[in-house]
Amino acid sequence: MKKIDLHIHTMPTISDKEFSFSIDKLKSYVSSAAIDAIAITNHDTFDRNQFMMIKEAVDAIVYPGIEVNLETGHVLIISDGADLDAFWAKTALVSKKITKIGESISVDELKEIFDDLNDYLVIPHYDKTPEIKGEILERIIGYVSAGEVDSAKKFIRAIKDNSRLTPVLFSDARISDELRQLPTRQTFVDIGDLTLKALKACFRDKNKVSLSEKDGNKLFQIFEDGQKISTGLNILLGERSTGKTFTLNRISESNKNVKYIKQFSLVQQDDEAHERDFHKDISRERSKFMEGYLSEFKVVLNDVVNVDLQRNERLIDKYISTLLKSAEEVERKDSFSKTALFDETEFTTSEDPVLNALIRSVKQLIENVEYHSIIEKHLDINSLKELACELIEILRKKNDERKKRNFINSIIRDIKEMLRVRTSSTQVEDIDLYRIKMDFKKIEKFEEITKFLQKEAVISEENVQRFRVVASRAPFNGAGEVKLVSRSRVAFSDAYKDYNQPYKYLQSLVNIESLDPSELYKYFVKIDYKILNKHGYEVSGGERSEFRLLQEIKDAQDYEILLIDEPESSFDNIFLKDEVNKIVKEISKTMPVIVVTHNNTVGASIGADYCVYARKEFEGTDIKYRLYSGHPTDRELVSQDGKQLSNFDVILNSLEAGDQAYNERRKGYEAIKDRK
Amino acid sequence: MKLLKIENSQGYFLLDNSKYASVDKITKEDLLRLVNLTLESEVDFDEFTDDNLKNQAHQIIYKSIYDKLNGLKERRDEFKDESARLYLKEYDRYRGESS
Repeated sequence: MKKIDLHIHTMPTISDKEFSFSIDKLKSYVSSAAIDAIAITNHDTFDRNQFMMIKEAVDAIVYPGIEVNLETGHVLIISDGADLDAFWAKTALVSKKITKIGESISVDELKEIFDDLNDYLVIPHYDKTPEIKGEILERIIGYVSAGEVDSAKKFIRAIKDNSRLTPVLFSDARISDELRQLPTRQTFVDIGDLTLKALKACFRDKNKVSLSEKDGNKLFQIFEDGQKISTGLNILLGERSTGKTFTLNRISESNKNVKYIKQFSLVQQDDEAHERDFHKDISRERSKFMEGYLSEFKVVLNDVVNVDLQRNERLIDKYISTLLKSAEEVERKDSFSKTALFDETEFTTSEDPVLNALIRSVKQLIENVEYHSIIEKHLDINSLKELACELIEILRKKNDERKKRNFINSIIRDIKEMLRVRTSSTQVEDIDLYRIKMDFKKIEKFEEITKFLQKEAVISEENVQRFRVVASRAPFNGAGEVKLVSRSRVAFSDAYKDYNQPYKYLQSLVNIESLDPSELYKYFVKIDYKILNKHGYEVSGGERSEFRLLQEIKDAQDYEILLIDEPESSFDNIFLKDEVNKIVKEISKTMPVIVVTHNNTVGASIGADYCVYARKEFEGTDIKYRLYSGHPTDRELVSQDGKQLSNFDVILNSLEAGDQAYNERRKGYEAIKDRK
Repeated sequence: MKLLKIENSQGYFLLDNSKYASVDKITKEDLLRLVNLTLESEVDFDEFTDDNLKNQAHQIIYKSIYDKLNGLKERRDEFKDESARLYLKEYDRYRGESS
């Protein structure tokens, strides 16, 4: 196994914060983390001299590379360094094209500059911002060896999902003296000789990359001293004041996007404040739900709000009246008003979104890499290409036609205006009946949709362990209810009179100046959001804390690591065993979780994948905080400096107050059980 | 091909039967035909001056159309290019690969 970190910054560029590179820091990183190969990958630049200096100084293989701003994301281009001058010259072309923040090069430019990308390791930001995805990724996918991710969670996800690229986890670190902790993100590769060619071959097989040297993807490094934890469920044990919370804080500080549920954070300390917090949470969830549920309605409303029926009516009136008047005046026409263009109407012109979308879809069928074999099984790719060309030809023709028509419309407008000022005859006002009719249709649809939306219904029911979250909709019952949603002092009583005529109601809302136009969609239907307990009643005080904990754990799905500090301090054992253990275990299948506990219900029953024990030890007059770790079935827990403790003793001391107490308790329970 | 001409102090435009009609009779469909001709063929127009066209209604229409078509004639290549650039990469690639 070799350990590699092929994404390291050694020069500040316009894409970085200022930092000053330290060769000593790089040397100490490479040697303490025992890294076999690194790559120097600065943003859009490669400094040959600095590279040579690093290569001389560092005791590892050093590859020359560059991190390129490619259209929407970043991609690492790493060379084997055989022809350093040629690589330097190519990277200089990248630097020349990217001189300001926000600039990037295109895929075509990348291919042109680097000639044959097969000569390099091409590693795009994959599950990492700024990501290379979609069409851009498809266009370089043939050259890509692996995809860079930025957390253990994403690494595992990519490993498990066959449709995803082989993941690599690199530090992406700016190496300077200010670097407080040495990076812990590297990838192990199962490889003999570390050559670029061998790396490429290795990346073709997901089984050959891993987060740890001996434990595959079960463990990953969390601290610079080499301390590892499970990519699944960890329990962190220890007596009071042994550094457990300190350890969680360290993890929280040194990792991005960590969900940290602190001790007592959910406990009910003050009834009123607790209820307020709970309602605030629920109200936030309700807003989130409502925004999602009403997002399509919002689009419709935003379109309809721009329809001006009164203006349309004025236009029709004007058209009719000028038409009639012009007919009356037909005998009195002069040489200006007699011209055909005097009353000419304009061509209608419109874009063709359907055709554009169709071309994009055909293009996707042709270029999609992921499902290429299935598409090819059913459709002839050559025919699809012909279809695309034919559609493009039609699109071009239609575009030409539209441009010409727009051009002619401008001529007509000019001439009509000039003729108008020279004559006393009435000019017939032009009118776009298509648009006016479409406006009416929009309102009809809007009314239909709104009425449907206002029918009472349960729109979502979700079970969160023992709770049920029910969202329902109903019409507003009075202006007061609308006012509550608006959270303002605005009076809705006048507008509400039109509530049953949605378009008219919308107009009334538009006329209330103090209302934010982007919020109007909220005032058409009442969305109710309730948390019910298993009996179907609204939750009580204690249940609220339980629900909040479950909700917090569930929310952790959007994070990279979940930390929970002593959940037992707020909840009873039955709840911990039946609900918390279950949900924590479930979430640990997709991300690393660390639970600090003294409680045997959590600690012993949860079925952890890895056990970490924090211990305060006195060495002479010094106090040393040490972490021991191992798998739950290991005989010994081992510290990074090689000290060992009996796993059995640790578990019993931490969770059962020692062997003797455990046995006494057990005997006690048996005595009660046997009593008839 | 002469699209616009001036004779006897009157302005005329080319009909699709090679005859000419007075510019005060021109409609938007006629204009579309003239635009197509301007983009696709070698065309010219009689130059307009205040002296050679006396009728004021004719002056207004003729001058406007004359200016616009002349402008379009000058930008003919640009117009064609812009249209040909639509999905150019895909078109060329697929055309090449499918034939």
